[in-house]
Amino acid sequence: MEDTVDPDKVILCPACDLLLEKVSAAPDQSVICPRCATKLYAPRNNSLNRTLALTITGLILFAPANLLPLLTMEAIGIEDSGSIVESFLGLYEKGYYFVAVMVMLTSLVIPLIKLGLLLNVTLCLRLRRYPEWLPWAFRTYLNLDEWGMLEVYMIGILVTIIKMYHMAHIHYDLGFYCFIGLLISTLGSSAAMDEHHFWEMMETRPLPENDPGAELKRAGMHG
Amino acid sequence: MGNSESGLLTGKDAGLVLCLECNKVLQYEEPEEGCLLLCPRCGAEVHFRKPDSIARTWALVVTAVVLYFPANMLPMMRVDFMGSPDYSTIMDGIIYFFKEGYYFVGSVILTASILVPVFKIIGIILILCSIHFRWKRWLRHKTSMLKFIEFIGRWSMLDVFVIALLGVLVNFGFFTSIQAADAATYFTGVVIFTMLAAINFDSRLLWDAAD
Repeated sequence: MEDTVDPDKVILCPACDLLLEKVSAAPDQSVICPRCATKLYAPRNNSLNRTLALTITGLILFAPANLLPLLTMEAIGIEDSGSIVESFLGLYEKGYYFVAVMVMLTSLVIPLIKLGLLLNVTLCLRLRRYPEWLPWAFRTYLNLDEWGMLEVYMIGILVTIIKMYHMAHIHYDLGFYCFIGLLISTLGSSAAMDEHHFWEMMETRPLPENDPGAELKRAGMHG
Repeated sequence: MGNSESGLLTGKDAGLVLCLECNKVLQYEEPEEGCLLLCPRCGAEVHFRKPDSIARTWALVVTAVVLYFPANMLPMMRVDFMGSPDYSTIMDGIIYFFKEGYYFVGSVILTASILVPVFKIIGIILILCSIHFRWKRWLRHKTSMLKFIEFIGRWSMLDVFVIALLGVLVNFGFFTSIQAADAATYFTGVVIFTMLAAINFDSRLLWDAAD
Protein backbone atom coordinates (compact mmCIF):
# COMPACT_ATOMS: atom_id res chain seq x y z
CA MET A 1 0.00 0.00 0.00
CA GLU A 2 2.84 2.31 0.86
CA ASP A 3 4.30 2.02 -2.62
CA THR A 4 1.15 3.34 -4.25
CA VAL A 5 1.38 6.87 -2.82
CA ASP A 6 1.28 9.36 -5.69
CA PRO A 7 3.98 11.99 -5.03
CA ASP A 8 1.86 14.69 -6.70
CA LYS A 9 -1.08 14.21 -4.34
CA VAL A 10 0.81 14.47 -1.05
CA ILE A 11 3.10 16.89 0.74
CA LEU A 12 5.93 16.22 3.17
CA CYS A 13 6.72 18.43 6.12
CA PRO A 14 10.25 19.86 5.57
CA ALA A 15 10.91 19.88 9.32
CA CYS A 16 9.62 16.46 10.45
CA ASP A 17 9.03 14.47 7.22
CA LEU A 18 5.37 13.77 8.02
CA LEU A 19 3.36 12.59 5.02
CA LEU A 20 0.23 14.66 4.50
CA GLU A 21 -2.52 14.89 1.96
CA LYS A 22 -2.24 17.98 -0.25
CA VAL A 23 -4.96 20.43 0.73
CA SER A 24 -5.79 23.76 -0.83
CA ALA A 25 -5.85 26.90 1.27
CA ALA A 26 -7.56 30.22 0.67
CA PRO A 27 -5.35 33.30 0.26
CA ASP A 28 -3.85 34.49 3.55
CA GLN A 29 -4.65 31.21 5.31
CA SER A 30 -1.75 29.00 6.36
CA VAL A 31 -1.37 25.23 6.29
CA ILE A 32 0.41 24.04 9.44
CA CYS A 33 2.03 20.66 10.08
CA PRO A 34 -0.07 18.91 12.76
CA ARG A 35 2.95 17.11 14.23
CA CYS A 36 5.62 19.83 14.53
CA ALA A 37 3.68 23.08 13.88
CA THR A 38 5.85 24.17 10.96
CA LYS A 39 4.12 26.47 8.50
CA LEU A 40 3.89 24.48 5.27
CA TYR A 41 2.43 27.07 2.94
CA ALA A 42 0.42 30.24 2.93
CA PRO A 43 -1.05 31.35 -0.41
CA ARG A 44 -1.02 35.06 -1.16
CA ASN A 45 -3.52 37.11 -3.05
CA ASN A 46 -2.35 38.59 -6.38
CA SER A 47 1.16 37.58 -5.39
CA LEU A 48 2.90 38.06 -8.72
CA ASN A 49 1.81 41.65 -9.39
CA ARG A 50 2.38 42.80 -5.83
CA THR A 51 5.84 41.25 -5.68
CA LEU A 52 6.79 42.78 -9.03
CA ALA A 53 5.61 46.27 -8.00
CA LEU A 54 7.45 46.18 -4.67
CA THR A 55 10.63 44.81 -6.26
CA ILE A 56 10.73 47.65 -8.82
CA THR A 57 10.16 50.19 -6.01
CA GLY A 58 13.01 48.66 -4.05
CA LEU A 59 15.39 48.80 -7.00
CA ILE A 60 14.58 52.48 -7.65
CA LEU A 61 15.33 53.35 -4.01
CA PHE A 62 18.41 51.15 -3.82
CA ALA A 63 21.11 53.53 -5.06
CA PRO A 64 19.99 56.65 -3.12
CA ALA A 65 19.45 54.61 0.07
CA ASN A 66 22.99 53.27 0.00
CA LEU A 67 24.95 56.18 -1.45
CA LEU A 68 23.28 59.28 0.02
CA PRO A 69 24.18 60.31 3.58
CA LEU A 70 21.87 58.77 6.21
CA LEU A 71 22.53 61.06 9.13
CA THR A 72 24.60 64.11 9.98
CA MET A 73 26.04 64.46 13.47
CA GLU A 74 26.98 67.89 14.70
CA ALA A 75 29.11 68.54 17.78
CA ILE A 76 31.26 71.51 18.83
CA GLY A 77 30.61 73.10 15.45
CA ILE A 78 31.96 70.13 13.47
CA GLU A 79 29.62 68.21 11.19
CA ASP A 80 30.08 64.62 10.14
CA SER A 81 27.77 62.63 7.90
CA GLY A 82 27.90 59.11 6.55
CA SER A 83 26.20 56.70 4.16
CA ILE A 84 25.90 52.91 4.24
CA VAL A 85 28.68 52.50 1.68
CA GLU A 86 30.98 54.69 3.80
CA SER A 87 30.19 52.63 6.91
CA PHE A 88 31.92 49.53 5.55
CA LEU A 89 34.61 51.45 3.65
CA GLY A 90 35.57 52.91 7.05
CA LEU A 91 35.97 49.43 8.52
CA TYR A 92 38.01 48.35 5.50
CA GLU A 93 40.40 51.30 5.84
CA LYS A 94 40.96 50.48 9.51
CA GLY A 95 42.01 46.94 8.52
CA TYR A 96 38.88 45.02 9.65
CA TYR A 97 38.58 43.28 6.30
CA PHE A 98 36.40 40.35 7.37
CA VAL A 99 33.92 42.58 9.22
CA ALA A 100 33.90 45.08 6.33
CA VAL A 101 33.20 42.37 3.76
CA MET A 102 30.42 40.83 5.87
CA VAL A 103 28.77 44.23 6.46
CA MET A 104 29.06 44.98 2.73
CA LEU A 105 27.53 41.61 1.77
CA THR A 106 24.66 41.66 4.26
CA SER A 107 23.67 45.32 3.91
CA LEU A 108 24.33 45.99 0.22
CA VAL A 109 25.43 43.19 -2.12
CA ILE A 110 22.99 40.44 -1.08
CA PRO A 111 19.92 42.73 -0.83
CA LEU A 112 20.77 44.02 -4.34
CA ILE A 113 21.26 40.52 -5.80
CA LYS A 114 18.01 39.42 -4.13
CA LEU A 115 16.01 42.28 -5.62
CA GLY A 116 17.61 41.73 -9.05
CA LEU A 117 16.83 38.00 -9.04
CA LEU A 118 13.29 38.55 -7.81
CA LEU A 119 12.70 41.15 -10.56
CA ASN A 120 13.86 38.64 -13.19
CA VAL A 121 11.73 35.84 -11.75
CA THR A 122 8.55 37.90 -11.40
CA LEU A 123 8.97 39.53 -14.84
CA CYS A 124 9.48 36.14 -16.52
CA LEU A 125 6.46 34.63 -14.78
CA ARG A 126 4.38 37.72 -15.52
CA LEU A 127 5.28 37.60 -19.23
CA ARG A 128 4.86 33.80 -19.24
CA ARG A 129 8.41 33.17 -20.36
CA TYR A 130 10.39 30.29 -18.94
CA PRO A 131 14.12 30.53 -19.72
CA GLU A 132 16.51 27.77 -18.61
CA TRP A 133 17.94 29.82 -15.73
CA LEU A 134 14.59 30.68 -14.15
CA PRO A 135 14.49 27.90 -11.49
CA TRP A 136 18.14 28.59 -10.68
CA ALA A 137 17.43 32.30 -10.21
CA PHE A 138 14.53 31.61 -7.85
CA ARG A 139 16.48 29.01 -5.89
CA THR A 140 19.38 31.42 -5.45
CA TYR A 141 16.95 34.09 -4.26
CA LEU A 142 15.46 31.75 -1.66
CA ASN A 143 18.87 30.59 -0.44
CA LEU A 144 20.13 34.16 -0.02
CA ASP A 145 17.01 35.18 1.87
CA GLU A 146 18.35 35.19 5.42
CA TRP A 147 21.71 36.71 4.45
CA GLY A 148 20.19 40.04 3.45
CA MET A 149 19.93 42.00 6.70
CA LEU A 150 18.39 45.38 5.89
CA GLU A 151 15.97 45.27 8.84
CA VAL A 152 18.80 44.52 11.25
CA TYR A 153 20.70 47.48 9.78
CA MET A 154 17.62 49.67 10.31
CA ILE A 155 17.57 48.81 14.03
CA GLY A 156 21.33 49.50 14.02
CA ILE A 157 20.62 53.01 12.70
CA LEU A 158 18.05 53.56 15.46
CA VAL A 159 20.43 52.34 18.18
CA THR A 160 23.10 54.69 16.78
CA ILE A 161 20.67 57.62 16.94
CA ILE A 162 19.74 56.88 20.56
CA LYS A 163 23.39 56.38 21.51
CA MET A 164 24.42 59.76 20.09
CA TYR A 165 21.26 61.67 21.00
CA HIS A 166 22.64 63.64 23.91
CA MET A 167 26.19 63.97 22.58
CA ALA A 168 25.52 65.49 19.19
CA HIS A 169 22.85 67.23 17.19
CA ILE A 170 21.44 64.78 14.63
CA HIS A 171 20.04 65.68 11.21
CA TYR A 172 18.14 63.10 9.18
CA ASP A 173 19.30 63.19 5.57
CA LEU A 174 17.63 62.02 2.37
CA GLY A 175 19.41 58.64 2.46
CA PHE A 176 17.62 57.86 5.76
CA TYR A 177 14.17 58.22 4.18
CA CYS A 178 15.22 56.30 1.06
CA PHE A 179 16.55 53.52 3.29
CA ILE A 180 13.20 53.26 5.12
CA GLY A 181 11.47 53.03 1.72
CA LEU A 182 13.92 50.38 0.55
CA LEU A 183 13.36 48.37 3.73
CA ILE A 184 9.57 48.52 3.42
CA SER A 185 9.62 47.44 -0.24
CA THR A 186 12.12 44.62 0.38
CA LEU A 187 10.17 43.24 3.35
CA GLY A 188 6.93 43.73 1.41
CA SER A 189 8.20 41.89 -1.64
CA SER A 190 9.20 38.84 0.36
CA ALA A 191 5.90 38.91 2.26
CA ALA A 192 3.89 39.17 -0.97
CA MET A 193 5.89 36.43 -2.69
CA ASP A 194 4.07 33.10 -2.81
CA GLU A 195 6.86 30.55 -3.11
CA HIS A 196 4.62 27.56 -3.85
CA HIS A 197 2.61 29.42 -6.47
CA PHE A 198 5.81 30.55 -8.22
CA TRP A 199 7.18 27.00 -8.31
CA GLU A 200 3.89 25.65 -9.60
CA MET A 201 3.91 28.22 -12.39
CA MET A 202 7.43 27.20 -13.35
CA GLU A 203 6.33 23.58 -13.48
CA THR A 204 3.03 23.96 -15.31
CA ARG A 205 4.20 26.88 -17.50
CA PRO A 206 0.89 28.60 -18.20
CA LEU A 207 0.76 30.18 -21.66
CA PRO A 208 0.32 33.87 -22.40
CA GLU A 209 -3.29 34.89 -22.95
CA ASN A 210 -4.42 35.88 -26.46
CA ASP A 211 -1.21 34.74 -28.13
CA PRO A 212 -1.74 31.95 -30.68
CA GLY A 213 2.00 31.69 -31.41
CA ALA A 214 2.88 31.00 -27.80
CA GLU A 215 2.77 27.24 -28.03
CA LEU A 216 5.32 27.30 -30.85
CA LYS A 217 7.54 29.78 -29.02
CA ARG A 218 7.53 27.64 -25.93
CA ALA A 219 8.31 24.50 -27.90
CA GLY A 220 11.21 26.29 -29.61
CA MET A 221 12.63 27.68 -26.41
CA HIS A 222 12.98 24.33 -24.73
CA GLY A 223 13.77 22.14 -27.72
CA MET B 1 9.30 -0.08 9.13
CA GLY B 2 6.81 2.65 9.89
CA ASN B 3 5.87 4.59 12.92
CA SER B 4 3.55 2.10 14.53
CA GLU B 5 3.31 3.84 17.90
CA SER B 6 1.65 6.97 16.58
CA GLY B 7 0.14 5.54 13.40
CA LEU B 8 1.61 8.42 11.43
CA LEU B 9 3.30 7.82 8.11
CA THR B 10 6.42 9.73 7.12
CA GLY B 11 8.04 10.33 3.76
CA LYS B 12 10.74 7.88 4.80
CA ASP B 13 8.16 5.13 5.33
CA ALA B 14 6.51 5.78 1.96
CA GLY B 15 9.78 5.98 0.03
CA LEU B 16 9.24 9.65 -0.74
CA VAL B 17 11.66 12.54 -0.39
CA LEU B 18 11.12 16.30 -0.35
CA CYS B 19 13.19 18.71 -2.44
CA LEU B 20 14.08 21.27 0.23
CA GLU B 21 14.59 24.00 -2.37
CA CYS B 22 11.20 23.93 -4.11
CA ASN B 23 9.15 21.62 -1.85
CA LYS B 24 8.40 19.09 -4.58
CA VAL B 25 7.70 15.55 -3.38
CA LEU B 26 9.73 12.92 -5.26
CA GLN B 27 9.89 9.16 -5.32
CA TYR B 28 13.19 8.35 -3.62
CA GLU B 29 15.64 6.08 -5.43
CA GLU B 30 19.12 5.57 -4.10
CA PRO B 31 21.33 7.21 -6.77
CA GLU B 32 24.11 5.10 -8.28
CA GLU B 33 27.66 5.59 -7.05
CA GLY B 34 28.94 9.01 -8.15
CA CYS B 35 25.49 10.15 -9.30
CA LEU B 36 23.19 12.71 -7.76
CA LEU B 37 19.43 12.85 -7.59
CA LEU B 38 18.32 16.13 -9.17
CA CYS B 39 14.92 17.72 -8.66
CA PRO B 40 13.06 17.75 -12.00
CA ARG B 41 11.34 21.02 -11.14
CA CYS B 42 14.13 23.23 -9.80
CA GLY B 43 17.34 21.36 -10.67
CA ALA B 44 18.62 21.27 -7.08
CA GLU B 45 20.43 18.27 -5.64
CA VAL B 46 18.01 16.22 -3.59
CA HIS B 47 19.31 14.24 -0.62
CA PHE B 48 17.33 11.91 1.55
CA ARG B 49 18.64 13.95 4.50
CA LYS B 50 21.05 16.90 4.37
CA PRO B 51 24.51 15.33 3.81
CA ASP B 52 26.76 14.95 6.88
CA SER B 53 24.34 17.20 8.70
CA ILE B 54 25.33 16.27 12.25
CA ALA B 55 29.10 16.37 11.66
CA ARG B 56 28.91 19.72 9.88
CA THR B 57 26.65 21.23 12.52
CA TRP B 58 29.00 20.07 15.31
CA ALA B 59 32.03 21.51 13.49
CA LEU B 60 30.35 24.88 12.92
CA VAL B 61 28.94 25.17 16.43
CA VAL B 62 32.30 24.28 18.02
CA THR B 63 33.94 26.98 15.86
CA ALA B 64 31.35 29.46 17.12
CA VAL B 65 32.04 28.48 20.75
CA VAL B 66 35.79 29.02 20.25
CA LEU B 67 35.21 32.46 18.71
CA TYR B 68 32.69 33.40 21.40
CA PHE B 69 35.39 33.94 24.05
CA PRO B 70 37.57 36.53 22.25
CA ALA B 71 34.38 38.15 20.94
CA ASN B 72 33.27 38.91 24.50
CA MET B 73 36.60 39.45 26.23
CA LEU B 74 38.39 41.67 23.71
CA PRO B 75 37.31 45.28 23.16
CA MET B 76 34.63 45.80 20.53
CA MET B 77 34.93 49.57 20.22
CA ARG B 78 37.59 52.23 20.64
CA VAL B 79 36.49 55.75 21.60
CA ASP B 80 39.08 58.52 21.41
CA PHE B 81 38.15 61.45 23.59
CA MET B 82 40.48 64.47 23.72
CA GLY B 83 43.33 62.34 22.44
CA SER B 84 43.06 59.51 24.96
CA PRO B 85 41.80 56.15 23.68
CA ASP B 86 39.20 54.21 25.67
CA TYR B 87 38.38 50.61 24.78
CA SER B 88 35.08 48.97 25.61
CA THR B 89 33.82 45.41 25.29
CA ILE B 90 30.26 44.45 24.30
CA MET B 91 29.29 44.18 27.99
CA ASP B 92 30.71 47.67 28.73
CA GLY B 93 28.49 49.09 25.98
CA ILE B 94 25.41 47.48 27.51
CA ILE B 95 26.28 48.66 31.03
CA TYR B 96 26.71 52.18 29.61
CA PHE B 97 23.12 52.17 28.27
CA PHE B 98 21.69 50.89 31.56
CA LYS B 99 23.63 53.49 33.60
CA GLU B 100 22.42 56.29 31.36
CA GLY B 101 18.84 55.13 31.83
CA TYR B 102 18.27 53.80 28.31
CA TYR B 103 16.84 50.53 29.55
CA PHE B 104 15.06 49.65 26.34
CA VAL B 105 18.10 50.06 24.04
CA GLY B 106 20.24 48.38 26.68
CA SER B 107 17.92 45.38 26.69
CA VAL B 108 17.82 45.24 22.88
CA ILE B 109 21.62 45.09 22.66
CA LEU B 110 21.86 42.69 25.61
CA THR B 111 19.42 40.38 23.84
CA ALA B 112 20.96 40.66 20.38
CA SER B 113 24.63 40.48 21.36
CA ILE B 114 24.81 38.31 24.49
CA LEU B 115 21.62 36.31 24.98
CA VAL B 116 20.93 35.37 21.34
CA PRO B 117 24.39 33.91 20.60
CA VAL B 118 24.39 31.95 23.89
CA PHE B 119 20.86 30.72 23.28
CA LYS B 120 21.74 29.67 19.72
CA ILE B 121 24.87 27.77 20.75
CA ILE B 122 23.23 26.02 23.71
CA GLY B 123 20.09 25.29 21.68
CA ILE B 124 21.97 23.67 18.81
CA ILE B 125 24.15 21.61 21.16
CA LEU B 126 21.04 20.47 23.03
CA ILE B 127 19.42 19.34 19.79
CA LEU B 128 22.58 17.53 18.66
CA CYS B 129 22.78 15.72 22.03
CA SER B 130 19.10 14.91 21.76
CA ILE B 131 19.77 13.02 18.52
CA HIS B 132 22.88 11.36 19.88
CA PHE B 133 21.16 10.07 23.00
CA ARG B 134 17.80 9.54 21.22
CA TRP B 135 15.80 11.70 23.61
CA LYS B 136 12.24 11.27 22.42
CA ARG B 137 10.54 14.03 24.39
CA TRP B 138 9.76 17.64 23.55
CA LEU B 139 10.24 17.02 19.81
CA ARG B 140 7.72 19.63 18.82
CA HIS B 141 9.32 22.20 21.13
CA LYS B 142 12.78 21.38 19.85
CA THR B 143 11.61 21.82 16.24
CA SER B 144 10.10 25.21 17.15
CA MET B 145 13.30 26.16 18.95
CA LEU B 146 15.31 25.34 15.85
CA LYS B 147 12.97 27.48 13.72
CA PHE B 148 13.42 30.28 16.26
CA ILE B 149 17.21 29.89 16.21
CA GLU B 150 17.18 30.19 12.41
CA PHE B 151 14.97 33.26 12.64
CA ILE B 152 16.92 35.20 15.28
CA GLY B 153 20.40 34.32 14.01
CA ARG B 154 20.79 37.36 11.83
CA TRP B 155 19.76 39.84 14.55
CA SER B 156 23.10 39.43 16.29
CA MET B 157 24.71 41.45 13.50
CA LEU B 158 23.10 44.49 15.15
CA ASP B 159 26.12 45.47 17.22
CA VAL B 160 28.44 45.14 14.22
CA PHE B 161 26.25 47.49 12.17
CA VAL B 162 26.12 49.99 15.03
CA ILE B 163 29.93 50.04 15.28
CA ALA B 164 30.25 50.41 11.49
CA LEU B 165 27.87 53.39 11.55
CA LEU B 166 29.39 55.05 14.63
CA GLY B 167 32.82 54.72 13.02
CA VAL B 168 31.78 56.84 10.07
CA LEU B 169 29.34 59.20 11.82
CA VAL B 170 31.37 60.07 14.90
CA ASN B 171 34.59 61.53 13.68
CA PHE B 172 35.03 64.97 15.20
CA GLY B 173 38.80 65.14 14.89
CA PHE B 174 40.69 65.56 18.16
CA PHE B 175 37.52 66.08 20.18
CA THR B 176 36.10 62.60 19.83
CA SER B 177 36.06 59.72 17.37
CA ILE B 178 34.85 56.12 17.42
CA GLN B 179 36.19 53.08 15.61
CA ALA B 180 35.88 49.31 15.70
CA ALA B 181 38.29 47.14 17.72
CA ASP B 182 39.45 43.53 17.49
CA ALA B 183 36.41 41.78 18.97
CA ALA B 184 34.33 42.92 15.95
CA THR B 185 36.01 40.27 13.78
CA TYR B 186 35.44 37.45 16.28
CA PHE B 187 31.89 38.55 16.97
CA THR B 188 31.02 38.60 13.25
CA GLY B 189 32.53 35.09 13.08
CA VAL B 190 30.24 33.88 15.89
CA VAL B 191 27.17 35.19 14.05
CA ILE B 192 28.17 33.67 10.70
CA PHE B 193 29.13 30.26 12.11
CA THR B 194 25.98 29.90 14.24
CA MET B 195 23.86 30.83 11.22
CA LEU B 196 25.68 28.23 9.10
CA ALA B 197 25.27 25.64 11.87
CA ALA B 198 21.49 26.17 11.92
CA ILE B 199 21.29 26.00 8.11
CA ASN B 200 23.27 22.75 7.91
CA PHE B 201 21.16 21.01 10.52
CA ASP B 202 18.35 18.79 9.25
CA SER B 203 15.51 18.81 11.76
CA ARG B 204 14.07 15.61 10.24
CA LEU B 205 16.94 13.76 11.94
CA LEU B 206 15.43 14.73 15.27
CA TRP B 207 12.19 12.96 14.33
CA ASP B 208 14.00 10.01 12.71
CA ALA B 209 15.92 9.42 15.95
CA ALA B 210 12.70 9.23 17.93
CA ASP B 211 11.08 6.60 15.69
